[in-house]
Amino acid sequence: MGTVESLLLGFSVALQPDVLWYAFLGCLVGTIVGVLPGIGPLSGISILLPATFGLDTTKSVVMLAGIYYGSQYGGSTTSILMRIPGEASSVMTCIDGYAMAQKGRAGAALCIAAVGSWIAGTFGVIMLTLIAPPLATFALRFGPPEYAALLVLGLIFLAYMSATSLPRTLLMACFGLLLGTIGIDNMTGHFRYSFDIAELGDGIGIVPVAIGLFGLGEILSTPSATVVGKVIAPRLRELLPSRDEWRQSAMPIARGSVLGFLIGLTPGSAHIISSFLSYGVERRLSKHPEEFGKGAVAGVAGPESANNAASTGAFVPMLALGLPTGPITAVLIAALMIHGVPPGPTLVNEHPNVFWGFVASMYVGNLMLLALNLPLVGIFVNVLRIPYAYLYPLVIMFCIIGVYEVSHSIVDVWIMLIMGIIGYGLRKFGFDPAPLVLGLVIAPTFEMSLRQSLIMSNGNWAIFFQRPIAAALLGLCAALLALAALSLIRSRKDWRSKLAEVEAGENP
Amino acid sequence: MTLRRDHIAGAIFVAFGLLVFALSGDLPVGTLSFPGAGMMPKLVAGFLILFGLLLILRANESAPVATVAWGDLPHAARVVAITAAAIALYQTLGFLVTTALLLFGLTFGTERRHPLVAAAFSIGVVALTYLLFAVALKTPLERGILGFQ
Repeated sequence: MGTVESLLLGFSVALQPDVLWYAFLGCLVGTIVGVLPGIGPLSGISILLPATFGLDTTKSVVMLAGIYYGSQYGGSTTSILMRIPGEASSVMTCIDGYAMAQKGRAGAALCIAAVGSWIAGTFGVIMLTLIAPPLATFALRFGPPEYAALLVLGLIFLAYMSATSLPRTLLMACFGLLLGTIGIDNMTGHFRYSFDIAELGDGIGIVPVAIGLFGLGEILSTPSATVVGKVIAPRLRELLPSRDEWRQSAMPIARGSVLGFLIGLTPGSAHIISSFLSYGVERRLSKHPEEFGKGAVAGVAGPESANNAASTGAFVPMLALGLPTGPITAVLIAALMIHGVPPGPTLVNEHPNVFWGFVASMYVGNLMLLALNLPLVGIFVNVLRIPYAYLYPLVIMFCIIGVYEVSHSIVDVWIMLIMGIIGYGLRKFGFDPAPLVLGLVIAPTFEMSLRQSLIMSNGNWAIFFQRPIAAALLGLCAALLALAALSLIRSRKDWRSKLAEVEAGENP
Repeated sequence: MTLRRDHIAGAIFVAFGLLVFALSGDLPVGTLSFPGAGMMPKLVAGFLILFGLLLILRANESAPVATVAWGDLPHAARVVAITAAAIALYQTLGFLVTTALLLFGLTFGTERRHPLVAAAFSIGVVALTYLLFAVALKTPLERGILGFQ
């Protein structure tokens, strides 16, 4: 079946009224999650995960993915109107978006952000449509050595791209890998670090760890007294940008879409990194760089397009290779697994309804988000008026329900609390918890592939260099490590250290 | 010598790696041709110690530990204590009672809101959440041994 026929099959699934309803629900919840500071898409997806158990696979993954890309749209609203990033990926939008709002151009900034997000999101889905199926076909050639090498490359790439230092990222990844070894060893049946707690026999789940680190950890680090902000509410008639503003935003949207999609393919916090890089690129290419920070249209259009394209790009390795590029795609993979559908090369051929239905729903979802975000901005602004002192207890309640309902295990809820405390500590010491979740997710596959490879080769490590794909992937790892070492030896600031400074709150 | 943030962080990870080794005593490493259940954890714990030591060696690049702001710790501790109590009671008291107490505890106990407002907020939210999950989404919530949902 060709791409067009497959896509038509996808639309026949995605345009069914009940699938449309769940896509709408996902987009709506995602927008609200994005608008509200302190609640990320990860918490939103995890909390609603148990509610999808009664649905079929397509509807549940359509709804959960809608929350993810919907939150990227919603994040801009808070950034522009309050100068508080609803999402980490909207940090850069705060700078020029809020400056535009202060000049009375809040409506125009919101419109440019929404249209840019829609164009970038749609571009990302078109690329996903074209790239994912051939990539999945190629990945069918992968055996255990190739998978082991691919996962090592994922970790090294994550560490290389990370704004924090290489050892810090790898430390987090190792910590995650270690947590992933808890439970029964699938190959020998040994219990590992389960301390006679029966629930630990199945290992530590992704949901309690992710919600604890990102949901609860964020709340613990944010005392309610520090969350204050004035909302600038735009009127509906002020939403249309001027001709000059459209002209200024056209190229940044195009560049942001391409840049964001490419970065989205790589492991790490791609949607965050892409918005930082896009802002830097736009400022460098601008004829008036002095306007950045004072309400430059390109400072809104570029980063907002980039983070949306990146969130779509992240679906390519997730769907085609079964490789999560971040904690959010990891939870989406968990959602697919719960429904008995393993993501990866076989997904396209064995579950075409799920794959193409999901892809087609993203075309529809992006349109829905455009329709939702502009006319209903006044309603979303009202959500921002809920005091944080009432908001975070709600989030904690949903965290407990979300984690408990996945497997009705109170041990999981305790794990969430412990992870929340660890997340708080990690923030204090400047660690990014995302690689930890990634390590936890890939640990079982990585361990299995590594051990199977060694068994296949009778204990000969050379198997990783004798097979061309595995050797090429490991060659890439070596190149990345060499690049990282080079910048370390020269002690020169490259783009990653500059990014780290910006993320730490220094001047962009 | 100034004690820096990465001295502490690195030492914690080194200690954690050593703890993993100590706890892995009975896990067989196996052979290269048939790796055992202990191979992966010990390998990763080794890397954890290595990167922890690297962090300590490069700690001079990090901020002094005295500059880490702990002003939010009392608030965080109160939130953790109330959440821990709610988790401990969840299976006994069930969803309705426990979450109402959790919300009241956080809004009144931690945020010092007016008790009547906090109580109305807690009961209202719990009722709406119950309707959403148990009625609309057909997701059964924990009943507890007292029989409340």
